[in-house]
Parts: sequence; structure tokens; C-alpha cells
Amino acid sequence: MNKISISLNLNGTDRTILVYPNRRVVDLLREDFKLTSVKEGCSEGECGACTVIFNGDAVTTCCMLAGQADQSTIITLEGLAKDGELDLLQQCFLDEGAVQCGYCTPGMILAAKALLLKNQSPTEAQIKLAMSGNLCRCTGYQKIHAAVKSAVVIYKDKMAQGGESID
Amino acid sequence: MTKEYSVIGKSQVKVDALEKVLGTTKFAADYNLPDMLYGGVFRSTVAHATINSLKLEKAKALGGVEAVLDFHDIPGKNRFGIIIKDEPCLVDDKIRRYGDALAVVAARSPEILEAALALIEVDYNEIEPIFTFERALAADAPIIHGTTNIHQVKHLVCGDVDAAFERSDIIIENTYSTHRLSHMFIEPDAGIAYYDDEGLMTVVASTQNPHYDRNEVASLLGLPYNQVRVIQAATGGGFGGKLDISVQCHCALLTYHTRKPVKIVRSRSESTMVSSKRHPMIIKAKTGASRDGMLMALEVQMTGDTGAYASYGPAVITRAMAHCTGPYNIPNVRADATFVYTNNPMGGAFRGFGVPQVAVCHEGQMNQLARALSIDPIEIRIKNAHQIGSKLPTGQILENSVGFIETLEKARAKAEDVL
Ligand code: FES
Ligand code: FES
Repeated sequence: MNKISISLNLNGTDRTILVYPNRRVVDLLREDFKLTSVKEGCSEGECGACTVIFNGDAVTTCCMLAGQADQSTIITLEGLAKDGELDLLQQCFLDEGAVQCGYCTPGMILAAKALLLKNQSPTEAQIKLAMSGNLCRCTGYQKIHAAVKSAVVIYKDKMAQGGESID
Repeated sequence: MTKEYSVIGKSQVKVDALEKVLGTTKFAADYNLPDMLYGGVFRSTVAHATINSLKLEKAKALGGVEAVLDFHDIPGKNRFGIIIKDEPCLVDDKIRRYGDALAVVAARSPEILEAALALIEVDYNEIEPIFTFERALAADAPIIHGTTNIHQVKHLVCGDVDAAFERSDIIIENTYSTHRLSHMFIEPDAGIAYYDDEGLMTVVASTQNPHYDRNEVASLLGLPYNQVRVIQAATGGGFGGKLDISVQCHCALLTYHTRKPVKIVRSRSESTMVSSKRHPMIIKAKTGASRDGMLMALEVQMTGDTGAYASYGPAVITRAMAHCTGPYNIPNVRADATFVYTNNPMGGAFRGFGVPQVAVCHEGQMNQLARALSIDPIEIRIKNAHQIGSKLPTGQILENSVGFIETLEKARAKAEDVL
């Protein structure tokens, strides 16, 4: 098998890398790019621990091959905080106690972020649907949903005061 | 008057939450060291067998493979276990469950590791596998450990049960069974072993039990405790399922022989296959009460399946016994419990240690009693509830903090609210 060249925008930076086409994107991110916030929990698309934002959508990278990442834009949790300042969702996860063991947290935050990028005032049902691909064994989900809801409320307030957009 | 505290009663941000929302927390699989090898385990595909031959030569000859080890390569003791040392690091005498570890491999890449594991050949001499409690106790059943398949037997007697049943107005009898459960912690087991700068055997692992792990690694390698260090990495859930040894001993053994860092990351299926489980139990209960719903006598027979290895079985059987009445005053109690070894996955610690299993039973009994006597289900519970001063069948007196009645009242109010 020959390696192929892949170019992508990763957390705001253009990157090019030679990889085997059958390399999974989760390995590409964790091993080749050392972005270990991307977690592996089930390896078959069930748990959502390996979620990243791929061309604006939340996707599970354990089920994607490297070739699919060519010419894409990927955001991992490492790419969320800007200049040391937490993303609103990160702050809300902290404040609402939505983090326990933390293994599901990167995927949870990114699934929520992907939702808010598309829909700035989601309903409760829309939040639940958007997060339904992410499993958490610790928190019981209540606080995770509270964190996302509080981010929505804070964001609305900010916008009302003429603040910046969510991305 | 409520006192103001600086922490109690206030919402606090967890000390490790910031790193977790930033994604910088290091879990065991996130550790990488120079020269690190990838470790893996060759496992049995039968549940009960002796081994005629285990052929490692082809795997050893593969380029990029640095170690292929079986039990002969263990310098110290090849048995671990939190209470009873009955589980081998690598099988020596016989296989006792599907997924028992037969050999370990360290290779320069995950791909070479996979190829090497596929080159190992084993020839089994199968023994009838035992999957049920009944079969485990049959006279002609093969013995899994030692001389009997009975793992533990416990009895608890308090008061005069037979006389109390005679005086009871109503008797409710049922059999309950609970099933095997997997913890499904979201992070599959992982760890890395290496020699630190001072030559100390060091294991960083996803674990709930680093002190215990240290002792087992030392005993496996024949090292004094002060030559082994175990560090708990950020751990992605455990719920009791990461109290037993998972990858720690296999990593350490491979590092011992290669002198290089060795990382093992279990797949979800491997983790689920060999981590401990909640003990399945069958509980027969007979409850006697007066016409007005006061509990008078309880007779319980429970059987539990501890699987191939003891793990926390002795603790689970004890807790299940001690809690068999639930939070209710029952003056006359007779309970017998038997746990057996089988060739099923190992039963171990799982939130509650046997208490959730018996809860299925005592709450089922209370509901049936309430229905049979036409008493409100919360009322009958309050009538019999433990309070300060209650005496348990074990003889223990509850001296403080018994919040059961208060909890029931609040649950009732809440239920009335929502229903
Ligand atoms: S690891 Fe990808 S969904 Fe679970
Ligand atoms: S915080 Fe542990 S799995 Fe979600």
C-alpha cells in the first residue's frame, strides 16, 4: 500500500501529511498530530468519544478513513479555546459541573459546539437530539444538558448586547 | 439557623475540570515515551481447557517483535487477586474462562503486534465448561479450582424464624434472579510500564487501585515493593470495574524483559470480555408479616456466580447477606448464601457489592406484601423502616444518621408533585 498526501485545515492551521489511506482519522489525529483530546471508547461509532467537528458537523472519527479528511476542516477540543480564553461551552461545562471522569467531555463539548454553530437558539429537544450520539457513563447527562442550555442563554444575552458571533 | 461554610453547601468547580474541558488531561492511552513498544495479549477462545501446546516461535521470528512471553517468563508469582490469589497473569495449569491470557507480545508498531498475535498457535484439550450454578454443584461436574466449585458459603441467623412464620398472618414467597452486568466505563483499560530514571519499575494505568496494583506487580516480578511504583492516570470511569488487575502486570512483565516502555490499550471488546462483572444472583425469599403489615420473619437463600476467579466475590457475598432485610426491621431472619465458581466472566466489585441484587428482592417482597394486605406501599415501608436505635440481624445497632423515613416522605411528596 502506498501512502497518500492529505491536506486539511486543522484547528485553524493548514496541514499536509503522508499517511496510509486506511489509517483511521482518530489515529491520524491522536498519533500523527498528537491531538489526544480525541478519545477512543468503542471504535465502532457508538459512544461519541472520538467526535470532532468535520466541515461543520459533529462526526465520529473512529469510523472515518484518512482519505476522507483530505481538503476538510477539522476542529478538535484543542482548537476551541482562543488565546487562553475558554470557549463559552467550555466555561459552561466547568460552571455547571458537567465534567466527571472527563473521558466523554471532548466529544460532548464538540457535539454541542457543532450544534451551536448551526443553530444559535436550539430548543431543548434539538439539544438532546444533537447530543444523542455521545454517551456518558458518569454524569447522568443532566448537568451536561444544563451546561449546553446555559451556554445558549448566555450567548443570547451577549448577542442582545451586541456581542460577537458564536464562532 | 444555618451555618455558612466556605465549601459545604456551595457549588465547587472540580479541581481537575479545567484540564478536562481543555482536552489536555492525560489518560493512560495518551502517554507515549521514546522507544515505546506496543503490547498485546493472546487470549483463549475456549472457556475451560488444558493446553497441549502453545507455539510462539513464528511470532518471535517476526521482524519488529521484541518479546513473546508465556508463564515460563514470569520471574515471581503467577497468581493475583484482590482477596484470594487465584487468577494467573498468564495461564499455567489451565484455562478457566473465555479470554484467559496465554501469552503477551511487545512489538514496534500496533500493526506488527497484530500480525504477531495472529501467528501464535494453541492446541487445547477442552474440558466441559460450567456456565450455571446448578451444574457447578453437580456431583459429576469438573472442578474449576482446587477441590470444590463452592467459592464461599455464609449463614446468618437471628431470632426464631420458624416460630415467627407460625405466628405470621401472611407469608409471601418468591424467587428473584438478577443478571450479569458490565460496568461499561467509557475508557477501555490502558496502561504503560517503564523503568524510570532511578531504575524503578513504573506503571501508569487507568485504575481505581494503584496501591494494590503495586503489590501485584512486585509479586509478579519478584521485586520488593520499593522497587515498583504505580501511578493512576486520569481514569475514564471505573465503577468497581477497575479495582482488579487489567493491563498492569502484562505491561510490567513485557517491560521487565525488554527494558523498554510498553503500552497496552485494550479494545472495547477485550475490555468487556475480561473485566469483572456484577455477580448474577438467584434469591429465594419467604417473608412473614402480621395482618397490619409488620414484618415478622424472613428466610432467604441466595446463590451467586463468581465466575472464573474470586475477585471481590467474598466481599459481595458478605454484603449481600448483611443487607438482605433491606432498610426494614425484621426480628427473625435466616439467610444462607452460596457462591460458586463457573467458567463465566469473573464477578467482582460493582457499585453496591451485592446490595443492589438483594434490593430487587426485598423491594419486590414489600410491594407484594402491600398489595396482598391492601396497604399503601410507602406506608408499609414507613411502618417497618429502620430508625435510630434499630437493630440489624447482624447485631449492629444503628446509632446515627438513618434518613430512610425522611427519604420516603420526600419521595412521596415528589411523586405526588409529578404524578
Ligand atoms: S470511539 Fe468512535 S464512537 Fe466510540
Ligand atoms: S464524565 Fe465520565 S463518561 Fe462522561
